[in-house]
Amino acid sequence: MSTRNDSQKALVLGIDTGGTYTDGILLEYHSRKVLASHKSLTTKRDFSIGIEAVIQGIRIEDPSAIQMVSISTTLATNAIAEGKSKRVALFLIGYDPELISSFNMQGRFATPHYHYFSGGHDLYGQEKEPLDLPAILAKVSEIKNDVDAIAVSGYFRPLNPEHENRSYTAISSVCDLPVVLGHQLSTKLGSVERATTAALNASLLAVLKDFVVAVRRALERRQIDAPLMVVRGDGTLMSDEFATRTPVETIHSGPAASAIGGRFLSHLDDALVVDIGGTTTDFALIENGQVTVSEEGATVADYKTAVEAANLFSIGLGGDSHIALNRENKVTIGPRRVVPLAYLADQYPQVQSQLHALSQRSRTNATPDWLEYWYLLRDPQDNSLLETDHEKALIEFLADGPKPLPEILKRLDLFHKVQIGAGNLLRQEIIGKSGLTPTDLLHVEGRYASWDTESASLALNVFCRFQLRDPDELRQQVWLQMTEAIVHAIVTFLSGKKLELSTVLEDDDIGRWFFYNSLYANHPHLETRFRLRQPIIGIGAPAGIFLKDVADVLHTELILPKHHQVANAVGAVAGSVMVTEEILVYPRVSSDGFEVTGYYVQTKDERQLFEAASDALEQARALSRERALGAALRSGADHPQILMKEQADGLDTYRIQAKAVGNPRLTH
Amino acid sequence: MELVQVDTQRAYEQIREKIITLELAPGALIDEQHLAEELDIGTTPIREALKLLFHDDLVVVTPRHGLYVADISIPDLEQLSEMRLSLESLCARLAAQRAGADDLTVLEALRQEQASIPPEDSRRLLDIDHKFHQALVKAAKNKYLTRTLEHFFGLSQRLWYMALPQLDFLPTAVAEHLDLVEAIKNGDADRAEQIMHNHVQGFYARVKEVLQAKT
Repeated sequence: MSTRNDSQKALVLGIDTGGTYTDGILLEYHSRKVLASHKSLTTKRDFSIGIEAVIQGIRIEDPSAIQMVSISTTLATNAIAEGKSKRVALFLIGYDPELISSFNMQGRFATPHYHYFSGGHDLYGQEKEPLDLPAILAKVSEIKNDVDAIAVSGYFRPLNPEHENRSYTAISSVCDLPVVLGHQLSTKLGSVERATTAALNASLLAVLKDFVVAVRRALERRQIDAPLMVVRGDGTLMSDEFATRTPVETIHSGPAASAIGGRFLSHLDDALVVDIGGTTTDFALIENGQVTVSEEGATVADYKTAVEAANLFSIGLGGDSHIALNRENKVTIGPRRVVPLAYLADQYPQVQSQLHALSQRSRTNATPDWLEYWYLLRDPQDNSLLETDHEKALIEFLADGPKPLPEILKRLDLFHKVQIGAGNLLRQEIIGKSGLTPTDLLHVEGRYASWDTESASLALNVFCRFQLRDPDELRQQVWLQMTEAIVHAIVTFLSGKKLELSTVLEDDDIGRWFFYNSLYANHPHLETRFRLRQPIIGIGAPAGIFLKDVADVLHTELILPKHHQVANAVGAVAGSVMVTEEILVYPRVSSDGFEVTGYYVQTKDERQLFEAASDALEQARALSRERALGAALRSGADHPQILMKEQADGLDTYRIQAKAVGNPRLTH
Repeated sequence: MELVQVDTQRAYEQIREKIITLELAPGALIDEQHLAEELDIGTTPIREALKLLFHDDLVVVTPRHGLYVADISIPDLEQLSEMRLSLESLCARLAAQRAGADDLTVLEALRQEQASIPPEDSRRLLDIDHKFHQALVKAAKNKYLTRTLEHFFGLSQRLWYMALPQLDFLPTAVAEHLDLVEAIKNGDADRAEQIMHNHVQGFYARVKEVLQAKT
C-alpha cells in the first residue's frame, strides 16, 4: 500500500508487537483515517526486527511527515514469563518474615533474592523501628556482583518514604547498580504487591531501555524523526523516556491498545471488545468511552502487581491454535500456537507432496502426529547457540526442509518429542512448528485463501480418517468448540464467576446446565439464553468468522469496524497521554498516640507539615495539580486537562489524585 | 529519549575511560574518525562527547592542530595539587562537623570494602577510592564544594593510574582512610583535616616522582 504525501496532514505511525504478529498502521490523526497498514511476524528474539519490517512494509513516502510513533509491546510480559528479565535483589524494610512465610507469600516477590531488614513506619507514618543501614550496606557489598539491579520496598512506606529514600542514597553511594524504590511506582498500600512491582520494574529497566534504543535506531534508519510513545497497561501513552523508568507499566499494553483501537474505529462508547489473534483471544470492556481499569493490579506470570492495568481477560485460543488429539482421543484446540500447514506448504512446496503421500497410506500409518511439522526458521549462523548433540543433529536434519515429527524422532532415535529437548531452539526462534489449525479449516471452506488450500484439505482428511470421522462434521465440531470457549470466556469475564466446563453427561450442576442449555437449547421445556446488553466489537483478521456465532448465542450485535484487522496498532496511537500524581495527607500524631498535632502532605519525594488539615489539603491539591501538569507536558501531552479526585483512606487520611490527560502533541 | 544523547553518553564514558586509564596518552592527538570507527558510534555523538571532555579539562583544543588529550606537566600538577589540598582538607573538616549517622555508615562500608580488595585489582580500588571521596563531600553538605570537587576528582583519576606502578602507596591509603573515618566519627575536625591533607599531599608527591622519572 502506498500513501499520498501531504505535509499538512498529521500522520502518525502505530505499531503493536503481539505474540504472533507485529502490526503497523499509518493514520491521519485528525480524520482518524487509516492510510496504510502492514503485518509482519513478531521476532521475539529482537522485537525491533519485526518493527522495522512493518515500517518498511507500510512504504511511507515522506518519513519526515510522521509526527508521532507509538508502540504497544508484549516485551515486558514476555520477559517476565520467559525469565529473560534481569536479576534483581529485593530489599524489604520492616516486613515481618514470619508473616510473609506463614502466608507463603515469598514466592510472589518475583525474585528469589529477597532480604529482610529492620526499619519501617506505622499507620501514621511514624518510625516504628530504626532503619538498619549497616546491614543493608553489608548485604549490598555481598551481592552487588551477582545482580543487575536492586529494588527497595518498605512496609507502609507510601505514608513515609524516608527509609526508602535513605536506603537509596546510601546504596547508590557504594555501588553503581540501578536502584528502584517501591513508593515511586505505587502509592497503594498492599505491601507485597508493591514489593513485587518494584522488583519487576528493576528487572525490566535494562530490557526496556534496550528496546527503546533499538526502536529508535530502526526509526532513524527509516528517516523517521518523531516523538516515540509507549502504551501503558491501561491503554494510555507515556513518552519513551518515562517508559524506560517505569517499564513495569507496559505490562498488558497490547490488549489494552486493541480495546482502545476498537473504540476509536467504531466510535462506540459502550461495548465488549474481543480481539482474536493468532495465539490468544483477549477481552476488554469499554464503558463511557473508557477501557475499564482493573480494581486489582495487573497480574503477570502469576505475580500480582500494584500496576494499574485495563480489566482484561485472555484465553489461549486463536486462528493459529494447534488442533490435535489428546490422550483420550478428544479434539483439542490450543493453547499452543503453530504455523498453519497451509502457510508452511505455501513456503515449502514439498510439504504438499508429502501430505499427498501421507493420505495414500493406510489409516494406522497416518497418525495425526505426522501432521506436526518442524522446520528451520533461520540459520543458526552462530553454532554456539547449539548446545546439545540432539540440537545439532536436529538442525542438520531440518536443513533441507520441514520434517514431520515421527521422521524426526526416528532420525534422532527417540521415542517421544520431549526427549528432543528443543525448548532452547524454539525460544531462540531457530526452529518453528507447524500443524493443523483453524486457519487451515478456513482454507478448506474457502473463507480464507491466502495460502495452500490443497494442503490444508489433505491434512484435514488425514486427521479425520484416523478418527473415522467425516471432515465436514469435524469442522463443525471445531467451530462449535471455539464458540463455546469464547462464550465461556465472556460469561466468566463479565460475571466474575468461575464455571468449569465438563462433558460428563450425568451432571447435576445448574450453572453448567444453564450454560449449555443457553448455547444449544436442548431442554424440551425450559428455554434459557444469554443476552449481552452491549454490542461486541470484533478485532483481528478472523473476528468476522469466529465471532458471528458468538454474537448470535449472546443475542447481541457484532460490529466489525473498518480496519478492525489492525485495530491493535490503531489503539497504540489512539490513546491519550496521561500522568497521575497522587499525594497523601495524613495526621501527625503525638507520641502517646492520642493527639493530632498537625497534618503531613506526602509527595513521592518529600513531606511537609501543616497545622490545619484544610491547609494541608489545599497544598496537596495545588502540588498534585502542578506536578501532574508538568509531568504530562514533559511526557508529550498537548494541552493536558486535569482531573482531580479525592478519597478518604482510613483514619483521617486522604488521597489527593491529579490526572493530567491530553492528546499526544504532534510536533517535532 | 534522543538517540544522540544515548550515544553521546556512551561515547563520553568510553573515551573518558581511555583517557583515565592512559590508553589515550596525555598529550596525544585525538582522531575523531578513528574513535568513531573503533567505538562504532556516529561522528556527531563523538564530537558531542569530546565537547563534554573539553569542559572536564581532559581534552584541549588548539586552534590550528585540533584536539589533544590534556597533557600532564609538573606545573599543571602543582596547580592541581594546590587546589585539591585545600579543598579536600576543607571537605574533611566539614564532614567531621556535619556527617550524620547515615554518612558514617556509608563511609564505614566503603572503607571496609576498600580493605577487602586485593591490591592488584586497580580498577576496583580506584572506583572505591572515588566513591569514598564522593561520600565525604556528601557528608560535608556543601553543594558548591560537591560540584567543584567532582571536577577535580575527574582530573585526578588519571594521576592515580600514573602512580599505579608504585603500588606501595596502597596500604598507606587504606590505613589513612581508616584514621579519617575514625576522626570524622569522633567529630575531630582538626584531625580529619590533617589526615586528608597528608593523604592528598602523599598522593601528589608520588605522582610527581613518577612524572619526574619520565622526563
